[in-house]
Amino acid sequence: MSIVIENVSKSFGSFQALKNINLKIETGELVALLGPSGSGKTTLLRIIAGLEDPDEGVIHFENKEVTHLHTAKRKVGYVFQHYALFKHMTVFENIAYGLKVLPKKKRPSKQEIEEKVTKLLQLIKLEAFRDRYPSQLSGGQKQRVALARALAVEPKLLLLDEPFGALDAKVRKELRRWLRQLHENFQITSIFVTHDQEEALDVANRIVVMNEGKIEQIGTPQDVYENPKTPFVYNFLGNVNIFEGHLQNGKLIHGSVAFAVPNANKNKTGSAYGYVRPHELVLSRESDSSQSLEATIVHVHHIGRTVNIELKRNDNGQLIEAEITREEFDSLNVQIGDSVFVTPVNMHIFQNKKTGAESL
Amino acid sequence: MKKQITSEPFIVRISLTFIALAFLTLFLILPLIAIFVKAFDQGLDVYIASITEPDALSAIKLTLLVVSITVPLNTLFGIFAAWLIAKFNFKGKSVLTTIIDIPFSISPVIAGLIFVLLFGAQSSLGQWLIDHNMKIIFAVPGIVLATLFVTFPFVARELIPVMQMQGKSEEEASLSLGASGLKTFFYVTLPNIKWGLLYGVILCSARAIGEFGAVSVVSGHIRGLTNTMTLHIEILYNEYQFTAAFAVASLMSILAIITLIIKNVIEYRDGGSRA
Repeated sequence: MSIVIENVSKSFGSFQALKNINLKIETGELVALLGPSGSGKTTLLRIIAGLEDPDEGVIHFENKEVTHLHTAKRKVGYVFQHYALFKHMTVFENIAYGLKVLPKKKRPSKQEIEEKVTKLLQLIKLEAFRDRYPSQLSGGQKQRVALARALAVEPKLLLLDEPFGALDAKVRKELRRWLRQLHENFQITSIFVTHDQEEALDVANRIVVMNEGKIEQIGTPQDVYENPKTPFVYNFLGNVNIFEGHLQNGKLIHGSVAFAVPNANKNKTGSAYGYVRPHELVLSRESDSSQSLEATIVHVHHIGRTVNIELKRNDNGQLIEAEITREEFDSLNVQIGDSVFVTPVNMHIFQNKKTGAESL
Repeated sequence: MKKQITSEPFIVRISLTFIALAFLTLFLILPLIAIFVKAFDQGLDVYIASITEPDALSAIKLTLLVVSITVPLNTLFGIFAAWLIAKFNFKGKSVLTTIIDIPFSISPVIAGLIFVLLFGAQSSLGQWLIDHNMKIIFAVPGIVLATLFVTFPFVARELIPVMQMQGKSEEEASLSLGASGLKTFFYVTLPNIKWGLLYGVILCSARAIGEFGAVSVVSGHIRGLTNTMTLHIEILYNEYQFTAAFAVASLMSILAIITLIIKNVIEYRDGGSRA
């Protein structure tokens, strides 16, 4: 089911949670709403589900306007952040609930319900737990029951609020894979909310980055990671080093250093910020022209094949993060306390830290 | 046995236990025993005669009638008010919360007086009622109204914290699964609040049975007509019929004990089926 969200705004008292949101989601997509807490992502999800009424704007499912349609009539599967399983019902009863409350004419027979729930229990691999109560399940199991309960009513749209938020790292990874697979098998249009960029990059086929009630950028995971449109997206997706300076002749002048800016507009001048990812920095023993900064290694952290290095600039004490491969690190042959030269190989320029008016 | 970090020396434990037990015995168990001892002072025959004489029977009937009207009404109101306060945000919410507490803070005698002033012969509303041949004060409706007022907050007060703690995500889950508001209430909300509700209903019933002050003001003490059990006991006591007074009092105590036993039985049964 495709969804169109037009000019949606929502306030809670004096706090404006959503500011004029426009978003289109195609049938079968798996979309992540990504942002820090307070960015309005959960509010947007709740408005799509009909759990919250927008102050302004319209929402369409396919060609039908649903802006003020009651939740119960939207046929949307919603998985709550803390599962919201019915405490007084068994796993079986929880999953069967959506079928049991159907109006008499549409309600499947007892046997049909039994079959369907059994099938879902197999899908979530909890057949042996059908008579347990939610309090007897682990977090990951509860999450799967919540998913099965939402799927039982065969929704055309699946909404998940921080689906893996409260789980430990290993279970989270497992469930992530499982959700991706589920989406491939059923092709239900799905939207999930997360503050974990890795989760969004890993699971979604499109990411909507939100901040302070607005959409910052929409794109594929690769797109938002490699071509962030705003400083916020740059900061939020992955680590970044920021160099403050001013533009001149297509270069970012920064103290005694002049960084070459790829594709720069030579006519732009004024103060600007250069954004560089840790892996876009090269470390060397010797100075490489005027493009290098001198810095001292303060911390080295190995993760498998990559090495994260924390450096302190010799001129102004700013901390810099660099990420290099194991081989590069070995051939560099350095240790904590050594001075090295840092050269950015790629840089993104924003003229304003907040709005991100670009110079490119 | 290993010493636990939270445990106290033996002597402290023993003396604390002793103090608690002594206190319980002195203020709760002894008075209860005294009621029954006094009630059976002059033998079983007198006891039975005291509780089966017509005035006593009509007092018992009136009390049960009042309870059977006020408790269901206040239960309905309590659920509704608690639901509003716990699950919704609206203007005047704090005002409503305060209003619910008024009967707790006002003396029952004053509560009774309010109804006399409101519906009594000296008010214009009371005059209108008299003209239309409707009796509220010094009649059963007045007693019901006064009891309703006094027992108003019990269910709501018991439910509000329970509902607030549970939040509304289970209800939202139910609605998103296609259940109507009514089905959501009966399948999800009600099972979640049943212990708080039961406790509130028990407290409300106990108070409705035992209410004296407010009822005393509006009743008019007409024997066989507007005397509840508490008022009947007072009259007997004032007439130095101690045995009869305590016989009726023992009946009220039995009612109270039975409600407590019912509560425990239900709790025990349900507790077995859930972890």
